[in-house]
Amino acid sequence: MFTRRDLLRRSAFLSLAPVVPEFLDRTTRAATPDRDGRVLVVLQLDGGNDGINTVVPFGDENYNKHRRELRIPTDKVLKVGEGIGLHPSMRAAADLIESHRLAIVQGVGYPNPDRSHFESMAVWQTAMPGKPDAANLGWLGRALDAAPRGDGPALIHVGDENIPRALFSRRAASTSFADASDLALRLPPPPAESATSTDDLTAFVNRTVATAYATAADLEAAAAKPDGGARYPGSGLAKRFELVARSIKAKSPARVYYLIQGGYDTHSVQAPAQSALLRELADALRAFLDDLAASKLADRVAVLAFSEFGRRPEENGSLGTDHGTAGPVFVAGPSVQSGIVGQAPSLGDLENDDLKWSIDFRSVYATLLDGWLNLPADEILGGRFSRPMILKT
Amino acid sequence: MNTSPWSPYRPADAEPWNLERAWTLRRRAGFAATWAELERDLADGPEKAVDRVLDGSCRLAGVPSDFARTAELLGDAAAGSSDARRLQAWWLFRCLFTHDPLQERLTLAWHDHFATSQVKVDDVGAMHRQNETFRKLGRGPFGDLLRALLHDPALLAWLDAPSNRKQKPNENLARELMELFTLGVGRYSESDVKEAARALTGLGVTQGRFTMRADRHDDGPKTVLGKTGNLDPDALADLLLAQPATADRLAWRLCNTFLGENVADAATRTALAEQLRGDGLHVGRAVDTILRSRIFFGPRNLHARIGDPVGFVVGSVRALECFAPRPPSTLLLAEWTERLGQALFFPPNVGGWPGGRGWLSGRGVVARANFAAALAEGRLHADGKPPDFASLAERNVKTREPDAALKLVSEVLSGRVLDPSSADAIQRSAGDAGSANDRLNRAVALLLARPESQLV
Repeated sequence: MFTRRDLLRRSAFLSLAPVVPEFLDRTTRAATPDRDGRVLVVLQLDGGNDGINTVVPFGDENYNKHRRELRIPTDKVLKVGEGIGLHPSMRAAADLIESHRLAIVQGVGYPNPDRSHFESMAVWQTAMPGKPDAANLGWLGRALDAAPRGDGPALIHVGDENIPRALFSRRAASTSFADASDLALRLPPPPAESATSTDDLTAFVNRTVATAYATAADLEAAAAKPDGGARYPGSGLAKRFELVARSIKAKSPARVYYLIQGGYDTHSVQAPAQSALLRELADALRAFLDDLAASKLADRVAVLAFSEFGRRPEENGSLGTDHGTAGPVFVAGPSVQSGIVGQAPSLGDLENDDLKWSIDFRSVYATLLDGWLNLPADEILGGRFSRPMILKT
Repeated sequence: MNTSPWSPYRPADAEPWNLERAWTLRRRAGFAATWAELERDLADGPEKAVDRVLDGSCRLAGVPSDFARTAELLGDAAAGSSDARRLQAWWLFRCLFTHDPLQERLTLAWHDHFATSQVKVDDVGAMHRQNETFRKLGRGPFGDLLRALLHDPALLAWLDAPSNRKQKPNENLARELMELFTLGVGRYSESDVKEAARALTGLGVTQGRFTMRADRHDDGPKTVLGKTGNLDPDALADLLLAQPATADRLAWRLCNTFLGENVADAATRTALAEQLRGDGLHVGRAVDTILRSRIFFGPRNLHARIGDPVGFVVGSVRALECFAPRPPSTLLLAEWTERLGQALFFPPNVGGWPGGRGWLSGRGVVARANFAAALAEGRLHADGKPPDFASLAERNVKTREPDAALKLVSEVLSGRVLDPSSADAIQRSAGDAGSANDRLNRAVALLLARPESQLV
């Protein structure tokens, strides 16, 4: 019943011009610097990943004491540093260190840690600890508000979750898709409302709807192109990474991609669940970086993987762990200073039974914002933070 | 003069009782109204319109006489089937055909508040029973609901309560009980979480039924929020219910359920919490206060909320009268709410759905447009016959003329009058292909997909 989408998209989008300038006729335009610029992919490990069973401090005499049931035997860990080893299911991550593409930042946290998933995640997503306010925008949304405005989505969330707060922005356009099946629009896009609405919510809705339609069309086109033999595992996370790669290859203007891997809230029978998750994570990450390397695009990409908190060193009574504090953060790509960054928190020096953090998560953000994306980190984060050696100089 | 923000709304020149307000009431407190229902509400004034929402008589059409019996049969069959999709379809059947849509709105709110997912519970019967508990107790004193939930097998399994045992604590339930269900974050300490976990030891589930295992309960003294005693789960619930913070949290939840983005400020919520504290945390009477208030009908609350997927899907079917004579497939409606980002019985985590602006993900936006197309093409119905919007216009405004039909559809869908330039733009986008009916249906789909229709 509906006429061909492409035909109508063209006519219908003419009225969207004030909202999305130059959005459509991409083929006639030369690539702008944006489209060849650097990209940050952020992966959220949702639920609070157990850091000390991910990057295992097997050399710490207290590790065996705290982890009686969940201990990873020393002969099983993949050694990556003095007394430090990766979980045995992270072989692909160990390979990334071998090939100089993975940095592990130890003991990342923030002052007065909150053990609530939602508060702690809000802290990581807004980068505003101690300022609980429902109106706070996301750190990546603010970052792209501070960037020159492109002609398409600046931030793309790839996933079927609701759009994460990290991407909430004042002006920068963001959108979100899970897989190719989300992209086919069976309707000519409705004409836009007055693009100059002064009402914030109405302006948001207008902008978001227009961006969504245009990005769907772009990604659909990218997904339809044959891809030269990239090999991804069959996991959902790998498929999402693959969509990100396709979008980058198709010269999307997005500078930030956001992915979520859920399932890390392991209060009971943690070992098999975490093992499967870490394997999925490491395998997908390596496949993604290998794919981009084969396309000569890897130099444009850095990946940040974080969790809202680690878990308590002392395991609970149900073969699981309860909410804790600091944990390791991963930064991957050929531009990172590969290996271990910072000191693992000592298991013999706990605070309220929990690990002490040593690197403020905003230091990691700051390094990536100005060192990688060339955006004004201090302004975006509202303060000056140290710059750990995560990126090659 | 009563200066409480919650004093009742009285129509005035600046804030008249009009289409927008009648429409807002029915969207927020239910799933949209038909044109005839809006006309009746407009004629009778706000007081009667709210009365009807509260007493379950607001719907004029599309309430089958055997609704209660059919709903029960569908629910029992779904519960016995181990197929969660049938349970989703059952709930959408209830939303679509109940005489009391407010009850389903509140049930949705409690599903969001005590967000429990079938992903881990893996027991359709338990999810069904939990849902019926929300429905049965969701409008009375909050304490009754909370105590019932602490005996609810689905919630207990979801939050690892059965593995929380004496000397082997698991804090999952204790933390979420305080953070999400009662006090709210920052109103308790980490030590309170640990002590509350001890008080909650012994709660169990055996073959899908609640059990209290005395041998696993820690009956030593515990100190929670400064009070020491041999607390068991019920005593802990009483202690939490008596905390002022619980009323604050409840007031926040109710404002979040019925009001637009940033409409109720802290002082406004506090005023509602005071009513709740003085009234045994009675939910139904607080809802009464909200729906009659100046805040609710104030200009800042109009079109100030991004509609949730269930409201968008069910509301579109209701407003466009696509429920009769042939009902749509509720299994299909359930699939659509999932594509829009709200898979019932599968909230993303114990915090529920983030909602608000989070609903408008790219896939959510595309799915809304595709739902609009499916509705207009008749693909929600088993026979695939497109709806007849000219007849809808004839029934309601005594004309089959396409422009008048489009105007009517716009008003039931968005609560606002369609301005001529937007109407022209939509007609142009709809194009000339096909019959007059095809063109009208395309225009209706475009109306439903436009940004304005996402706001309620």
